[in-house]
Amino acid sequence: MPVQTQCILSVKSPLGPPIEILKHVFPAQSNKPRVSFVTGLHGDELEGLYICHRLMRYLKELKTTYPNAIQGEINIYPAVNPQALENSTRLWPFFSLDINRTFGPGQSPSLAVETSQTLLDDLQSSSDIVIDFHSSNLHLMELPQIRIIKDFEKKLLPLAKKSNVDLIWVHPNADIFESTLGFNLNRSKIPTLVIEIGICHRIHQSMGDQIFNGMLSLLHHTGTLNITPPSEKIIEPRQVQPDQVAMVQASHSGLFIKQVEIGQTLEKGDKLGKLIDPVTGNVLEEIVTPCPGLLFTLREHPLTHKGSPLVRIAKSVGEQ
Amino acid sequence: MKEKILTLPNPFGGDLELYKNTWGKSGEPLSIVSGLQGDHLNGMFLNSHLTQFLDSIVEGLHPHYTLTGQVQTFPVVNANSVRSGSRLWPLDGMNMDLAFPGNPDGETAESIASTIWQHTRDSFWGIILQSAPPHYEDAPHIQVYKPDGRVKKMCTDLRIETVRRQKESSTQKVNLFHQWQDISSVILSAGSPRTINPQQCETLFQGILNFMKAEGILKDHRNKKPDSKTKARIYKSDEEISVRTTTAGMFLKEVKVGSHLKQGQKIGEVRDIYSGKRLEEVTAPEDGLLVTLRQYPIVYEKEPMAIILTAKKSWREYLPF
Repeated sequence: MPVQTQCILSVKSPLGPPIEILKHVFPAQSNKPRVSFVTGLHGDELEGLYICHRLMRYLKELKTTYPNAIQGEINIYPAVNPQALENSTRLWPFFSLDINRTFGPGQSPSLAVETSQTLLDDLQSSSDIVIDFHSSNLHLMELPQIRIIKDFEKKLLPLAKKSNVDLIWVHPNADIFESTLGFNLNRSKIPTLVIEIGICHRIHQSMGDQIFNGMLSLLHHTGTLNITPPSEKIIEPRQVQPDQVAMVQASHSGLFIKQVEIGQTLEKGDKLGKLIDPVTGNVLEEIVTPCPGLLFTLREHPLTHKGSPLVRIAKSVGEQ
Repeated sequence: MKEKILTLPNPFGGDLELYKNTWGKSGEPLSIVSGLQGDHLNGMFLNSHLTQFLDSIVEGLHPHYTLTGQVQTFPVVNANSVRSGSRLWPLDGMNMDLAFPGNPDGETAESIASTIWQHTRDSFWGIILQSAPPHYEDAPHIQVYKPDGRVKKMCTDLRIETVRRQKESSTQKVNLFHQWQDISSVILSAGSPRTINPQQCETLFQGILNFMKAEGILKDHRNKKPDSKTKARIYKSDEEISVRTTTAGMFLKEVKVGSHLKQGQKIGEVRDIYSGKRLEEVTAPEDGLLVTLRQYPIVYEKEPMAIILTAKKSWREYLPF
């Protein structure tokens, strides 16, 4: 069966063309686990769009070269917040609303809530596993990573380890997560990995390629694809708990001038950067690393207020 | 007394400062918070009006009143968004009311949230002042979640006739209101974002006055009985009807928020922007009170144009049998 494109939601717009959320379905040859990929919940996060593009091209080619390769249905939702993507904004611009805070019961009626409910229902009815791609916000760059809420660790960890990420961070639940897509899918017993890559407004091809290979490895692991992935070796990710993560925050307001790059292994005392006062020209603070470890979050947006995160470090063994 | 409760340095000067006003020293404290969103101006206006009123009492300019309790107000919480003339602070794009209980050592929004929480957590009563969500207008009303006896008494004492009992969503767990679970608290909502409606504010102001008098925070020496016989009516969430569009275009409303609608009454119509043709007539599906009405005319399909509180009688109203 050929690839099918379905419209899961169509909303008439005041100027004519409707807002549509599309899903590409790669039909299965058997009943192996159905895997869905979602991207674009935040309209300024583009890294996932590139990964989904690569997946679609690969799977379309596979349908021709190895027609029996797809053993479990694969669904790709390449742009689930079209208006925010068109405007390159995190929020759905018409409502100034973060759609990834509108999932779950009890929400007030609105088009945004109707949209998120439709997406959730569709994913629940057509998926055994879901991957939700995100980038970081405007300020921070993230090494490819998966963050797992402790309650869901047992089901998610084996899948996360196959995903070719650099880091898996298991942390306790917090109320703020309960209105997200990932939390609500996991709560409804559909294992969902939230993959965080790079920074918003940009595509880092090397990171995207890394995760693309990870997704093929995952599809192979679940039996959804029955051919060996063409990729190189999968990264053994660093796995950390909250007490194994050190965060350095700004103790002044100013501009952060970084002196490190994401993914670097640091020694205690290494220079991370400096905070400067843009008005007086003074250097407010020289910032050094408090412990050795892997630099997995780095501030890219220089404008910094007191308390802003500058870096996160996965502490080396022995420092924990 | 105006007191600075937080100062956060700004890289380009002009520190961010958070203030509270306090009156009275004895009795259980009442906290009133406004400006959680930068465009909720009715609440800020109402708080400033209240400040003027309480100052004049303390200064002895209001011979009929004596302040016998304790009141603290927080007129502007999301100061950055007020400064930038927007709902959210553009730098973080974050809804301030999703940052509670906050973190004193965190980023700006978390630090502000923590300060507000720390200053209000020991209050006996709490009131949050807000406007409708973007694109809508609210009739003055009270919002509550799971009202216990104390909260019901607050609603009675406020003597604002409409009370909406709403379902609590997962998003609300990080709201200030949710943190106030152990405080008798309500939300007072009126008007639209980005506007001040003095008449709607006056309704809420009189409500707060009624409440302060009933709870002994404010003593009225005239010993006057309440003028009006306004009784609060609690509407449950299943008594709310959301009236949605089936087309998209330009919505022209024909009713006013706060009015009582009859089943079939026209609320407005949706017209095609290019041809001007009428696409849809939006009507009330049942009798009820129009508590929320669409303000911004450009509309998509499936958007709520109105929220009607239905006039179904509760079984209590049929008592005694």
